Amino acid sequence: MPEVARAQPSVQVDTPSPRKLRLPAFSRELGLAALTLFIVILFSILYPYSFMSVANLNAILRNLAFQGILAIGMMMLMVGGSFDLSVGAMASLIGVITGRLLTSWNWPAPLAILAGLAVAAMGGFFNGFVVAKVRVNALITTLGTLGMFQGLALLIGGPSVPFEARFAQAKFLGVQLPVWLMAGLALVAHYGLAHTRFFRQYYYIGSNAKAAHLSGINVERLQMLSFTIMGVIAGFAGIVFASRLASASSTVGRGAELQAITAAILGGASLTGGKGTIWGAMIGVFFMALMQNVLIISRVSSEWQEIIVGAVLVLAVALDSVMNRKRL
Amino acid sequence: MSTSPSASLLSMRGISKRFGGVQALSAVDLEVRAGEAHALVGENGAGKSTLMHILAGVHQPDEGQIVWDGKSVTLANECVAQQLGIAIVFQERSLFSSLTVAENVFAARQPVSRWGIIERRRLHEETRQLLGQVGLACDPKTPLSELSAAQQQMVEIAKALSLNAKLIIFDEPTAALTEIETAALFGVIRELKANGVAIVYISHRLEEIFEIADRVTVLKDGTGQGTFSVPEITIDGLITRMVGRALSQRGKQSAAGSDKPTMLEVRHLNDHSLEREVRTILRDISFHARAGEIVALAGLSGAGRTELALSIFGARPRESGEILIDGHKVEINSPSDAIASGLAYLPEDRKEAGLFLDMTIAQNITAAGLKNFGSWWFRDRKGAASAEEFRKKLRMTSYSVKQVTQTLSGGNQQKVVLAKWLLVRPKVLIVDEPTRGIDVAAKAEVHDLLRELARNGTAVLVISSELPEVLAVADRILVMHEGRITGELSGGEATEEKILRYASMSIAA
Repeated sequence: MPEVARAQPSVQVDTPSPRKLRLPAFSRELGLAALTLFIVILFSILYPYSFMSVANLNAILRNLAFQGILAIGMMMLMVGGSFDLSVGAMASLIGVITGRLLTSWNWPAPLAILAGLAVAAMGGFFNGFVVAKVRVNALITTLGTLGMFQGLALLIGGPSVPFEARFAQAKFLGVQLPVWLMAGLALVAHYGLAHTRFFRQYYYIGSNAKAAHLSGINVERLQMLSFTIMGVIAGFAGIVFASRLASASSTVGRGAELQAITAAILGGASLTGGKGTIWGAMIGVFFMALMQNVLIISRVSSEWQEIIVGAVLVLAVALDSVMNRKRL
Repeated sequence: MSTSPSASLLSMRGISKRFGGVQALSAVDLEVRAGEAHALVGENGAGKSTLMHILAGVHQPDEGQIVWDGKSVTLANECVAQQLGIAIVFQERSLFSSLTVAENVFAARQPVSRWGIIERRRLHEETRQLLGQVGLACDPKTPLSELSAAQQQMVEIAKALSLNAKLIIFDEPTAALTEIETAALFGVIRELKANGVAIVYISHRLEEIFEIADRVTVLKDGTGQGTFSVPEITIDGLITRMVGRALSQRGKQSAAGSDKPTMLEVRHLNDHSLEREVRTILRDISFHARAGEIVALAGLSGAGRTELALSIFGARPRESGEILIDGHKVEINSPSDAIASGLAYLPEDRKEAGLFLDMTIAQNITAAGLKNFGSWWFRDRKGAASAEEFRKKLRMTSYSVKQVTQTLSGGNQQKVVLAKWLLVRPKVLIVDEPTRGIDVAAKAEVHDLLRELARNGTAVLVISSELPEVLAVADRILVMHEGRITGELSGGEATEEKILRYASMSIAA
């Protein structure tokens, strides 16, 4: 350490300002977790039998696994300041490709799955290359590839392809495998993003890409990598979902990209990047699935369900924006 | 309106303007006659731009009176100024590159029919006439992006003429132009003068003033230093008035070790810019800096100092040239290469390119040295402890390293960015405007820090537009002008006057 200061400072200039003490990063996740808990308690009182049953909780978990896996990758991308609209179409495409390899070509399951994930990696890399190197806006790039992947999925699979590997129907401790896979992936991703030097670089890129570049962070390479990982995760989600249903539908991922982005934002991500945690994304996904579930239990019509979920998103972000403005 | 050359068209009297704690202008007078070219000179920050922004209606003066064509006026906004006939040709061109020349000249003022529909034929005809006046032979339908920098400048002037301007302000109009283009521009200016248009001409190139201006007003630290008629004043006289004070003598600490090893050596560096907006092109730059030495890069804005730093740091393309660090030739193609070879760069714009504003002090300080805290797992506690050490040593006014940097004062933010680089222990540290916008006390602390670093064997390269700062910290001063090093001065012999002379002339004197 170079000796940079003169003698020890005689006066310690500490000015604690308690009002600014709490970090904004924590408030969103904890706030959402508290709200989630509140809803759980409220509905277990209101509907003790239909809500608080093992079957219902299991249904919630099963339904959120697909979006949950996508939200993990999306959160990582959004921390780095970008996002990917093609993930739903990618999931459909990889499910269909893997299904075709299994049924029409009779490939063994591990090989077919690996091949599917390899295609997913290539698709993700393509997104990353166009965004980071060619410098096309992420919105435009992935909107375009969304169309490409969706079209390819329909071309290869027709409406759907039977999926002959049903590993995802297995259960462990009464919970379906996709949920365990999501939890495992979330754990790994959480530790990666929060504690490894390498993945922490994404926070710097999302916070200020120019400063990150000048601090010696290879922004382009990392961006390409995050899109590639996102592609693989989306492909993985597609395979797992197809395996659970024993059928790969070419349109299963429609709209999933927006749900993943919504969950990430509810969980603390920002469209401009630099913020968010994997556990925030998980709470976001759980919160959305829970909302859907309690709305169904309360017999709210599907039109109103959509309106309410949309309003919750705007409300959450607006609240955060107002609170941040006060803090500064 | 009278157009006789001696009549006063504009008279600004006792203009004062404060921005927060800074007195940008105090009781400045400016008088411009119809048909004259009136030059406005002064160092960076002397108040030229502020005065012109007041004249263009962008800012309102706190005190003072503006008399236009014999009547006292209030220039409440840009529109009022435009309607009176005051036009400004901006340094950063206010043009739209994706639109055509004609649409630029008549931006949002296109001739329209009774139904509000743009009359293309009239638009193009009127544009062609205006282009003729400025000697630009091009189709009004050409997209602006296809024009050269000089041609775009002419479009900007045509735009001013379309407003029937009686006074046109040129802010550094020749910065992007070649000599031939400059000559053409001067031809247009003479033409305008002959037609009774008044010109206010701002330029760092003092030779130009003697070529084109009739009179010159000097500003220094926001105060007027008088108006002179051009044949009656010399370049030396102008420079003395721009510097304006008894030249400060400085106690030289040491003839900083000429025996110390050379830490940074740059040989024949040239760059090439792919983008048209990038103006300065570095030409054959060679210099060195020794361990323990503070070398200042002085020069006026646009001289290429920041571009030089970015080129050395690998953040800007180089065409040719070698860089040696600690005696070894290094291949630097990106900032990460540069950091790996022992270079560090503190950018000019702290918020834009230096800080991660929504992140904490600890996260900012460790940003360039993540390697120091584990090769795989990032050890938060070790990082925070190290950051805490710097927080104490650099005396950052903050409650903890967990404070978000957005909430810090400018001086403390600058300390955070400095600490980021101190952590990686660079062999060569380049600091670009290290004390811009920070208060006097923090300024002195930053200077001390730079000296301390040098004493510990780092070669420090300081880019600064503030001459007193350059004189205060530098052991050696390199002066740049238009992408070249035009002079070198030792800390002992340097004076503001000498630096300014090198900085204003294209040929090294």
